[in-house]
Amino acid sequence: MVLAERLAQDLTALGFLALGAAMAWEWYRLRGKAQGRLAVALISLAIVAAIGRVPEFVSVSGGAATVVGVVTIFAFEASAYYVLLFRDAFLPLSPRARQAARILLGATLVVGLAEVTVLSNAGRIVTTAAAFELILAWVVFAGEPIVRFWLASRSLPSVQKARMRALSFGFAGLIAILVFDVFGGNAVQSPTVTIVTQLIALAMVPIIYVSFAPPAMLRGLWRMKEATELRAAIQDLLIFSPTRQDLADKAVGWAKRLLGAQGAFIVDSEGTIVARSGIDDADVIEIVAARKGAAEGGIEEPLPGRGAAIVTPLHLTEGLGFLGVTAGPFTPLFGSDEVNQLKGYASSVNAGLERARVTERLAAIEANKTQFLNLASHELRGPLTVIRGYVSMLQDGLLGTLNERGSKAVPVISTKVLEMNTLIEQMIEAARLEDGALMLRPEANDLRELVKAAVNSATPVLDGQRKVRVKCPERPVRVRVDGERVKTIVANLVSNAIKYSPEGGPVEVDVVNRGGIARVSVKDHGVGIAKDDLPILFTRFGRVSTPETDHLPGTGLGLYLGRQLARLHGGEITVDSDPGRGSTFTLHLPAAEMTNAGSGRSANLRPQAARVGTQDGPVTRGGDG
Amino acid sequence: MGGPARGGRELIHVLLVEDDPAIAEMYRVQLEYDGYRVTVATTGDTGYESLVASRPDIVLLDLLLPDRSGLEIMADIKEQLANHPPVVILTNYGEPAMMDRGLSLGALEYLVKSRVTPASVSQSIRGWIEQARRGSEPQN
Repeated sequence: MVLAERLAQDLTALGFLALGAAMAWEWYRLRGKAQGRLAVALISLAIVAAIGRVPEFVSVSGGAATVVGVVTIFAFEASAYYVLLFRDAFLPLSPRARQAARILLGATLVVGLAEVTVLSNAGRIVTTAAAFELILAWVVFAGEPIVRFWLASRSLPSVQKARMRALSFGFAGLIAILVFDVFGGNAVQSPTVTIVTQLIALAMVPIIYVSFAPPAMLRGLWRMKEATELRAAIQDLLIFSPTRQDLADKAVGWAKRLLGAQGAFIVDSEGTIVARSGIDDADVIEIVAARKGAAEGGIEEPLPGRGAAIVTPLHLTEGLGFLGVTAGPFTPLFGSDEVNQLKGYASSVNAGLERARVTERLAAIEANKTQFLNLASHELRGPLTVIRGYVSMLQDGLLGTLNERGSKAVPVISTKVLEMNTLIEQMIEAARLEDGALMLRPEANDLRELVKAAVNSATPVLDGQRKVRVKCPERPVRVRVDGERVKTIVANLVSNAIKYSPEGGPVEVDVVNRGGIARVSVKDHGVGIAKDDLPILFTRFGRVSTPETDHLPGTGLGLYLGRQLARLHGGEITVDSDPGRGSTFTLHLPAAEMTNAGSGRSANLRPQAARVGTQDGPVTRGGDG
Repeated sequence: MGGPARGGRELIHVLLVEDDPAIAEMYRVQLEYDGYRVTVATTGDTGYESLVASRPDIVLLDLLLPDRSGLEIMADIKEQLANHPPVVILTNYGEPAMMDRGLSLGALEYLVKSRVTPASVSQSIRGWIEQARRGSEPQN
């Protein structure tokens, strides 16, 4: 039993020595201020434990015993002081608290030294009181951080929180060891109890080590908790951030959270800081400049007075950029695990940044395109106005009489100018639609009149024989629509019907008002459309390509615009086609309520085309002038 | 194409504010052929001066002018000239917002040049003058 007791005590002492050595190695590896202080504290504690075993092996008495006592007291006090300094590296003490701690330390040192020298022969009560004071002071030094670290952890993100709680736990472990090993061992004389307390103290050793220097696995576990929670958020950030800047700003925030880092930054290929958080410009520049790490990224040596950093490359279109994080007091540790973690994250950020770049570029192109369309259409409209005006005057005979060949040419010019005009109008309309700037001007209209005007504008004058038959109900078909737009839709359907009826078959336009829906169907007997081609008909620039129709001019905008405009009116365009026999396109519009078309609005139902009497009626203001 | 009668009555006076000389000339040819008296102003300021000095029967106003916007001129006319002649906006800006703005400032019509022929404009002038006269009667 005595042997077992001694063995347990020896093992505990060895465990302490191992713990001290492990901490020293940790410090040697990372050179952190905090690690250094902790190493000194634990080595001091190991010395205390080791010296406590010396009398078991060598007989110590007289002066030697005093020396051993003094060394023990100094080591014990040193462990307390460095534990406090270790805590100070995370959560700085206030000057007053530091002052108080030093006074307490000094007083304890005096008491301790007195106990092993002057009071060595004093009564048991005195020595117990002195020992009690020593341990009490130590417990204050080690116990206060338990509470402080725990309190501090509450406001931190997950990884840093786990780190702080582990530290808190580690301090609790230190105190437990002290209580069990030193205090408990001395107070209870039963060998069984001693063995148990020693074994408990021994078991605490690895736990303390893990608490103070969490291994990669534990750090991974902390991160995992955060990572699962963050994955969705990061995905959102990378996919949906509207701008590159926005994405970069959020990305550094998440990088910090992910690794429990103090600072994070993103630098572009020119060394410009795109985003940073928890670190200042000068430090970012310094870290990037001092970067020695491998091309694929890694841990950087800490700059003087600062924590370690991990810098990973970002392969951006314009060149090599960097994503970096810096360690702070609450950061668990930077190891190869963290490097891999950051690399994985960096590749996502990389993709996100590139995605945002492309999106921004596309937006710029889109804006340029719209600007171009606007400019072009307005610039084109001017010259076209003059050409169209003079051509119409030529046709009217206002500019004199042309010979036979001349008078044959004019209608052709007129038709082509009209085509151009339509194209320009379609381009402008498409640009408006994409800008979301297309605004309808709905007014009460008689659909019959709109259709008649549209058919007039779509059947060129050169077409001597009218091959478009219009069938309308006798009563007005009241609709509340943007008259100009509806005329455009119908005119486009009619001109398509003529265009795709090379044989010159008749085109039938039917206006029907039934069941609250007003319909205009345009039926041709032309080439028709294959079933497979129907889906692309209404897409932007979607033109069906067939040998019969490839030579026909068109932008592929007409039906796209038509359907979009119809939908803006709460309507639709449908198609029914029989290849080789013809197609029927139908415009469906909500019919206006009869009560809405009462006398107050009847003034608006004046046929617009009749007022000006041309193919393209002007925009009119209805009857409120 | 029959224009207004060129009889003993005084000719209807049209003020055309238009900075593009080719377009202005085109309308002048059509309108004079149809028997109107036409004055062309190529800037906003000269247009406004001409309007104040010569009191035309109708104004055809472009919006994009070298010195100021036609909408500004509309606002000035509305504010400073009581019983001003009817104004028809004749422009190549067909944006609905511009149309609403122009009409709300008191324009009788808002026409997009590329959508109408000179002949149709010319034919409509009498109707517009008539419409303006009718429109102003109930108010006075």
